[in-house]
Amino acid sequence: MIHRDKSTFELIDSIGIISLDDPPANALSIPEFISIRLLHQWIANPSLKGLIIRGEGKNFSAGGNLEAIFNASGNPKTLQSLMEDGISLLKTIENLDIPVIAAINRVCFGGGLEIALACHIRIASENALLAFPEANFNLMPGMGGTVRLPAYAGFSQSAEMILGGDMIDALNAKELGIVDHIAPKDQAFEYAWTLMQKMTHDRPVKVIRSIMKALKNAVELSHDEAMKEETLLFCSLARDEAERRKNEEA
Amino acid sequence: MTCQWTIEQRVGLLTMNQPPSNTMTMRFFEELHVLVREISTMNDLKAIVISGNGRHYSSGADINELLQNVDQRTMCDNYHAFIMLEQLEIPVISAIRGVCLGSAFELALFSRFRICARDAVLGLPESTFNLMPGIGGIQRVAALAGKAKAIEIILRGITFSAMDALEMGMVDAVVPGNRVIPLSMEFANALPEIVYKPDRELCLHKFLKPLYATN
Repeated sequence: MIHRDKSTFELIDSIGIISLDDPPANALSIPEFISIRLLHQWIANPSLKGLIIRGEGKNFSAGGNLEAIFNASGNPKTLQSLMEDGISLLKTIENLDIPVIAAINRVCFGGGLEIALACHIRIASENALLAFPEANFNLMPGMGGTVRLPAYAGFSQSAEMILGGDMIDALNAKELGIVDHIAPKDQAFEYAWTLMQKMTHDRPVKVIRSIMKALKNAVELSHDEAMKEETLLFCSLARDEAERRKNEEA
Repeated sequence: MTCQWTIEQRVGLLTMNQPPSNTMTMRFFEELHVLVREISTMNDLKAIVISGNGRHYSSGADINELLQNVDQRTMCDNYHAFIMLEQLEIPVISAIRGVCLGSAFELALFSRFRICARDAVLGLPESTFNLMPGIGGIQRVAALAGKAKAIEIILRGITFSAMDALEMGMVDAVVPGNRVIPLSMEFANALPEIVYKPDRELCLHKFLKPLYATN
């Protein structure tokens, strides 16, 4: 029952919207829930300014399909390479040089939460529920959840959440630092859209991408290297802007 | 001088001196660079307090002047001045009142401690001018407030209040405006003779909190 690419893409006003589209649960049939090749086609548009990932219908996503995982586990090699594909998809999303917001309504479990953690900003509706339930099935998160969660929630809270396998609500998730904003009931997408507009409306694409690149460098490169890159990015924007002003005067 | 320097009881007072806005002009950055180089040879200083002359810290760089003169070398020199300040073997405290925007907020972020007036306005508005913070502010905000908050405030280019900054971890204390400079001086004096890179949390807890809890 491996079928993927049950996700849809829509482009509205330079903002890409990816919907996990297998309601009501929006379960992921395989870890690489969108082929990386398809994702690259979707985001190839050079005027793209941001990306919102949401779930079709009421929920974000209930996560991976256990049956599919157990079926694939008969051949350990298959399972491993499936997981690795999922991990590189999330890495691709995390490394995009446009802001990516996860708009989380209601259920966001397991693999669904791992997708959300790979996004840059997480908006949860006040009725959202987050969990890593894998331990309840004698499993564990396998697409970076154990690596990304501690960066937001710290080691001890992450241990509690992953070992316990219990759900937490949006408010609790905000306190732990796992989500950044809480939206009204079922309004995560609307909230994400408004925030995305505030971040990207009237901003040239190059400004957005330069800032995102610099932020990525801040996390990934040594301080000196990140600064060198920042200077180059800044000077390029400043030259563009000086030029634009000169043309405006002329 | 656009950059005023006095010493009071072994605490150096570095005052941005182009009131009312204390705009950071090219000349300011040049003078700052020279001054910081001199400071780094002074052996008897205990701490440095950075503030603005008048009611504001600083409104940041002069964008028109910057756009006419921008080149990699200038930006690197400016950054170098900030880095030298950060690497001094004594603590640097920014005393923030009024506006503290753009490059000025970046300067504050290069200080080890930030004491902020209740009615101060902080932010990195560069993106609203089709630019980006260019002197390390991006790195500092990401480290202090996390990447998600950094993306949001820098792309939006919003200004925020002292209390918001405190909540995001970008300032250390928020006090009434008239207390900012006295408290920064008291804090500088209360700090022990400090080794290079003091433990921030320990210093805040042990030497700053008692000072303004009693005021």
